[in-house]
Amino acid sequence: MAPDPEELSVSQLIGDYALPISIHGINGLPDDAKRRIYRTLIPSSLLTRVGISPITWKGPDGNRPVVLVAEPDKGLVNLSIKDSADATDVFFCVELADNAFNGIDLNLLLLNDPTSPRFRTDYDDASKPTYFGTVRRNLAEEERAMGAGLAPGQIRASLSASKLFFQQLDTFLSFLSHHAVSLEPLTYASAWVFERRGFAYMRGHQLMDDIHREFQPGGRLHAALDGSTPFRQPDQWRTVRGRAWAIQDGILSVLGTRWNDVRMVKQVGHHAGVNTFPDAAY
Amino acid sequence: MGEKLRITRAAELRTLGVFRDFIDAACKPRGIDAPTCYDLKLAMDEACTNVITHGYAGMNPGSLMLDLEFDPQQVVMTITDFGHPFEPYEPPAPDPSAALEDRPTGGFGLFFIYRTMDHVDYQTTEEGNRLTLTKHFKKVPA
Repeated sequence: MAPDPEELSVSQLIGDYALPISIHGINGLPDDAKRRIYRTLIPSSLLTRVGISPITWKGPDGNRPVVLVAEPDKGLVNLSIKDSADATDVFFCVELADNAFNGIDLNLLLLNDPTSPRFRTDYDDASKPTYFGTVRRNLAEEERAMGAGLAPGQIRASLSASKLFFQQLDTFLSFLSHHAVSLEPLTYASAWVFERRGFAYMRGHQLMDDIHREFQPGGRLHAALDGSTPFRQPDQWRTVRGRAWAIQDGILSVLGTRWNDVRMVKQVGHHAGVNTFPDAAY
Repeated sequence: MGEKLRITRAAELRTLGVFRDFIDAACKPRGIDAPTCYDLKLAMDEACTNVITHGYAGMNPGSLMLDLEFDPQQVVMTITDFGHPFEPYEPPAPDPSAALEDRPTGGFGLFFIYRTMDHVDYQTTEEGNRLTLTKHFKKVPA
């Protein structure tokens, strides 16, 4: 059982080291103590490559482009980084939260290459937010993003740092005496990446198997890649991104379902060995 | 520390055959006797069937993990799932002499697990539901 967050103290930290500590508990600490703990969530090399000190979080211009939101009385922490003070987008963002089972959820992970072209897939034509394309879609921008090799939900190419981040997260969770982290993958492509990072499925493993099977020649998803939209081209079954864009386009309706209610879990220090798309090309 | 093997598949009935083959393929080259291998498959079948039919009932099934750890005198088989907890408590022994209409439905599965395994442990944590089954064995002379 997680400790009462209000009681987190030095005496507890030097007490039973196996007792899990919640995000809520850390957020109740003084700011400098919070900063020391949450600092371990950011891979140092991500900061130094854009000239940010991993210790002080100061950038080359003396500003602090790392923003920590960890309010007392809330079981949620959000860390985001811009590569410069005048940048409009963050290139790294992680959000962790306590869950109802005394565990920790990874709510959000953004790893964007700030030097890569920007696609406005996060806003529609009327400048309303698309929430990663889940609520609204900007079809023209999505088509451009797909052509540039991005996956659904992305506004820029990836930093290719997820392996680094999850190593860091494992260490962070061990420090808090947590044994696992869970998340809901936004897209088919992100679920596939999380499989490679050692996650298993709390829900949705069978769905991933169904998707793989039905994208094979002769399957219903394969047949639905009929060229009726830019996101349903016949060759898309061959790659993770191709499948993900077709799923973003609603192709799962031919199976009577949609991308929903998929939940994954990673055991600290263990790789689950899940591979629902063997020999996949990304 | 023993040698460890792991396989993870979706929690569905077709996975049982995959897991049986996995146990066979793991036991034979390690000289595990045939009755031990049979008991491991039987216990796995019963435990995983419970998870598939009860643990993941009402949801899109998640993963089932099967871990085997081989020590010189025993094999430890761990089955991990992320569905509803379903503790396989030790049931009373079924009465095979009772008339068919007087017997309760089911109950043999858990009975088999407890009869064939030397130790049974069940835990539910943030890492999932973990059933650990220990079986002592004799090595087959090469």
